[in-house]
Amino acid sequence: MLSPYGLEIVESCLTCKLRAERIFCDLPNSALQAFENIKYATAYPKGAVLFVEGQSPRGIFVLCKGRVKMSICSTDGKTLILKIAEPGEVLGLSATVSGKPYELTAETIDPCQVNFVKREDFLRFLKEHGDACFRVAEQLSEKYNNACHEVRSLGLSHSAAEKLAKLLLEWSSRNGEAMKQEPRLKLALTHEEIAQMIGTSRETVTRLFAELKKRQIVQSKGSTLFIRNKGALRQMAGA
Amino acid sequence: MESAIQLSCFDCSLRPARVFCDLPADALEAFDAIKTIALYPRGTTLFNEGRPARGVFMLCDGRAKLTVCSGNGRRLTLRIAGPGEMLGLSAAVSGTPYEVTAEMLDNSQVAFVRRKDMLHFLRGHRDACLQVVHLLSQDLHTAYDRVRAIGLVRTRHPAAAKEAI
Repeated sequence: MLSPYGLEIVESCLTCKLRAERIFCDLPNSALQAFENIKYATAYPKGAVLFVEGQSPRGIFVLCKGRVKMSICSTDGKTLILKIAEPGEVLGLSATVSGKPYELTAETIDPCQVNFVKREDFLRFLKEHGDACFRVAEQLSEKYNNACHEVRSLGLSHSAAEKLAKLLLEWSSRNGEAMKQEPRLKLALTHEEIAQMIGTSRETVTRLFAELKKRQIVQSKGSTLFIRNKGALRQMAGA
Repeated sequence: MESAIQLSCFDCSLRPARVFCDLPADALEAFDAIKTIALYPRGTTLFNEGRPARGVFMLCDGRAKLTVCSGNGRRLTLRIAGPGEMLGLSAAVSGTPYEVTAEMLDNSQVAFVRRKDMLHFLRGHRDACLQVVHLLSQDLHTAYDRVRAIGLVRTRHPAAAKEAI
């Protein structure tokens, strides 16, 4: 079945080919069948808001396809992006479990397929399926790890340059580029969004990129960024 | 040490008030069998950030300071953990190194469970696993609050952010 956003929707988890690679989804048959009965497969366009920080938790969102921006906001509207969630992640998990309001805002940055499960159904499902409960613990642990990393980065970095260097090194370490002398990465975010990831202004990010290019530490071609001097970038990051 | 050591969770009067400890009898018995109890003096480091997770530490009483550290040794307090909290849980569950350093602020009784035993216990006891999910959710809420306090205050008012830290 094709959705309006050009996404091929996987209607059933039982036939999903990507299931085996994903922490939460790779459940035993009985749990998977039970999950299948309580989930609603939905498709969202780019820019859709799945839930908003402060809202009462109505359930979890399993991200099947596409990416979702997870952010927090100050009362004056300043935004900080905590992470870009990838397929396989369960969003709104801790709020749904604890019953406290969602701590983050989730907004799609691609057309996405999302499987939604209502809070009461999900809690009952966890009580009945120990395997699923364990996977949820694993997902929460990963999110906690990420939040600690964010605290460290925001609270202990000296400058915006250090934070940007750390972010670029982190991105370059994914997709099998980690061991390369001159790794490359796809910049999927705007300067504004990168600024929101490291808690600085758009102008500072633009200026820092110009400096990095001038010093030939990075080079860009379209949306691809080539790291030409990994050593210098590591030095900037204080690594 | 301020109090006598309490070897069995069954004899603990504080158990019903604590998220993890209030387990059904069979789970509690299994937990009792895999834990080791120790009394730690104030200032003891339970585990260090970046070290492989060897297990979880249940604070029976007292408090512990959880900190993160930068490459150049600067330290930031994430939060103060209190009685009934389980430390090192996320690292033990995910098999990643400890994300924080935990240092005792009081002379305290601590129950330690090895990672392998804890994972085996959680797989065998659904109720305990559910409690762990609740504990991890609480930890995550606190961590996000900290991110908000540091990340959003710091960018606007550096002086206020320092206070928050």
